[in-house]
Amino acid sequence: MLLSILEQGLIYGILALGLLITYRILDFPDLTVDSSFPLGAAVSAVLTLAGMPPVLTLLCAILSGALAGLITGLIHVKCHVRDLLSGIITMTGLYSVNLNIAGKANVPLFSGDTLFKNAFTKSLPDFLRPYSTLLIILLIALCAKLALDWFLSTKAGFLLRAVGDNPAVVTTLAQDQGRVKILGLMIANALVALAGAVMAQQQRFFEISMGTGAMVIGLASVIIGTNLFHRFSFLRSTTMALIGSILYKACVALALQIGLDASFMKLVTAVLFLIILVSSQFTRKKVHIRV
Amino acid sequence: MFELRHIDKVYNPGTVHETCLFRDFSLRIQTHSFVSVVGSNGSGKTSLLNILCGSIPVDGGTILMDGRDITQMREFRRYARIGRVYQNPAMGTCGSMTILENLSMADNKGKRYGLTAGTNRRRMEDYRAMLAPLGLGLEDKLGVQVAALSGGQRQTLALLMATMTPLDFLILDEHTAALDPKTAEIVMLLTDRIVREKKLTTLMVTHNLRHAVAYGDRIIMMHEGHVVLDKAGEEKKQLQVEDLLGLFNSISIECGN
Amino acid sequence: MKKLFSMILSLALVLALCPTAMADTLHIGISQFAVHGSLDNCVQGFKEGLAEEGFVEGENIVFDLQNANADTGIAAQIADRFVNGHYDLICAVATPVAMSCFNAAQDREIPVIYTAVSDPVAAQLANADGSNPGEVTGTSDALPVEAQLKLIRALQPDATRIGILHTTSETNSDSSLATYQALAPEYGFTIVDKGISTGADIPLALEALLPQVDCTTNLTDNTVVQSLPLVLEMSAEAGKPVYGSEIEQVRLGCVASEGIEYLELGRQTGRMAARVLKGEAKASEIPFEIISNSYLYINEEALAQYGLSVPEALVSRAISVTMDE
Repeated sequence: MLLSILEQGLIYGILALGLLITYRILDFPDLTVDSSFPLGAAVSAVLTLAGMPPVLTLLCAILSGALAGLITGLIHVKCHVRDLLSGIITMTGLYSVNLNIAGKANVPLFSGDTLFKNAFTKSLPDFLRPYSTLLIILLIALCAKLALDWFLSTKAGFLLRAVGDNPAVVTTLAQDQGRVKILGLMIANALVALAGAVMAQQQRFFEISMGTGAMVIGLASVIIGTNLFHRFSFLRSTTMALIGSILYKACVALALQIGLDASFMKLVTAVLFLIILVSSQFTRKKVHIRV
Repeated sequence: MFELRHIDKVYNPGTVHETCLFRDFSLRIQTHSFVSVVGSNGSGKTSLLNILCGSIPVDGGTILMDGRDITQMREFRRYARIGRVYQNPAMGTCGSMTILENLSMADNKGKRYGLTAGTNRRRMEDYRAMLAPLGLGLEDKLGVQVAALSGGQRQTLALLMATMTPLDFLILDEHTAALDPKTAEIVMLLTDRIVREKKLTTLMVTHNLRHAVAYGDRIIMMHEGHVVLDKAGEEKKQLQVEDLLGLFNSISIECGN
Repeated sequence: MKKLFSMILSLALVLALCPTAMADTLHIGISQFAVHGSLDNCVQGFKEGLAEEGFVEGENIVFDLQNANADTGIAAQIADRFVNGHYDLICAVATPVAMSCFNAAQDREIPVIYTAVSDPVAAQLANADGSNPGEVTGTSDALPVEAQLKLIRALQPDATRIGILHTTSETNSDSSLATYQALAPEYGFTIVDKGISTGADIPLALEALLPQVDCTTNLTDNTVVQSLPLVLEMSAEAGKPVYGSEIEQVRLGCVASEGIEYLELGRQTGRMAARVLKGEAKASEIPFEIISNSYLYINEEALAQYGLSVPEALVSRAISVTMDE
């Protein structure tokens, strides 16, 4: 069970890294996520079927996600559409795009090699094989986390952090804050699409509905992570997001374990979400007083 | 040199709240001059700064920067040569980032914000040397988040950030108004020193008539979108706070408040 | 508040790690994709089918029924839970969970028996030659399209064009539609299809579709079936009969349907699972089955409304159902 929680938690942890950028850094409620997650999955699934090595399909998924973020960003910045609405517009449009990329609503990958089932993973020694999926996911999640950490420590990353904190500073530094926002949305959705692609490779199928609620899961993960661990200042927020996602999945596993009535599942998620949000407002107020 | 020619600015055009702020407003600010702008609320002081910087568009007229027409130039491009400090200390700094990160970011103005390291260890000594003489203890707090600083510390940092790199113009928007008197003096002295050292063309909006008289080489008083007093050079040196206050009061009485 | 929350989370983690207790009884995990009348019937039938073969719930068999609520992420977690609990057999109800369960169980020697999968070959749960790709087999709820076409021909001898409304994102609809398109010419029909993306598209799509056709027939398309009252009302105004795909639809006002019984589909699946549990055959050795008998349901009130009558040849097997209320 732990294995499964870690696997699922880390896959959605990559998604949470994306939401860390939009929600925490940019303060942008980006609904594109619900469609860029299946977008990455569709791209990865279709290209894998076409014979592309699974690792390369991940790169293509990243690019497709960046493109989705670019569109939301352009709608918001260039057409002056409100943040929430620009995400909704892209999300709605991408649904059709996803369906057309995949060709149908459900694309199985059971017959060929995937990222987690190929000659290499089969050649692993017996004691490692049960963990091969987790190890590969861990590797990808860590790469994503370290890449994001590195980016946020560069000059471009500084601007990204500044634009969410105080856009006026970016403007007085003679930089176009609109471009910085677009860049942030691109990186965020690239990460989300990567998560979708890894998910498709792991579950070995693409399903059009797999993005439903992706944003809520990612958001909950970010909020759980950053609120529970904000005292551990040695932990970076990216680490907190990954841990938050694992905890979220552990909660779902618990709900399954105690045999929660299916019809209450969504309500429990909503209540859990509300509790986290309210408790996070609580702590934010305290921080404010200290300032 | 900054020049505003025949500027028209109307707020809320076509609504019942329509108010005409500037009608055929012109002003010229000579290179290397330090101009203080005073006036009552709603007199158009801050709008003047916003029009210069491009934060708000104009409805007519031309804005020139060193003879070049910048009326259509976007706000962020104008800041390539302008530094600006706001009234609210939080506006000029990023609270969630450390002092070092804020300074490094400002230090890079005019260059590319690419994928090289955001902070440069070798510059840290320079930053410390820059902060130490202020006597605010900031030089030992490079790794502290700016949100944890006091308003005065933040505003001093904002001023330094706005003027770290080579530039020609400095826009000060009541930048001492939110500070306690002692800190306000420190920030004002620092401002004067930086303006002199860098030979900046400076436009300072202030509510503090004493600052307006004591600093700079030209003073402008504005009222309802018009310049009602404009003294420079010797004339300005003769000017006393009491004179300004008298004029200020007479304007206010005319308006009935 | 925070402390309490941390405690709940840690408790969640600890509990989630506890392995499921194992006893002499057999443990069956049932993963159901969503709350849905037909799928509920499948599960009930599955249990009945096992009971017929001597596996009685509470005596020698325990069911762990989980519902994924149409969330593929949860579907994957449910599948992992079954596999890690070393269950004796997994029953997956509907295509997406069948895929999740097969993926999780494939290398772990836990048999997966699916049901309500319209097209196991398209979902790669079965190979094109009918064999199984692993310890997985089950039953398909593919629509009895041929019987339905015969039914329409018998009731409307002059009809040439059949309209089908389908949701572009529903896989089951895709494969059923393809079957209709392939078989229709044999019976002298042309299929006119209109794709929709949400229930809100139905009025406009129907308005465009109805004038072009002599009647419409439903797939097991969730979106369309949910809006069936609207479909029936608009069709009645246009005077075009609607044929259903399940008994429930006939009950609501469709004129007739050659439908499968999901309860029976479940029973058939249960008997299949019993063979695997008894060790009579491995899942991989049992080919997947398409339910063979279809039932003819008619709604006499609706038939009368369109002036249709059931020919003598069919009357004997027609089961009359009445409108609800």
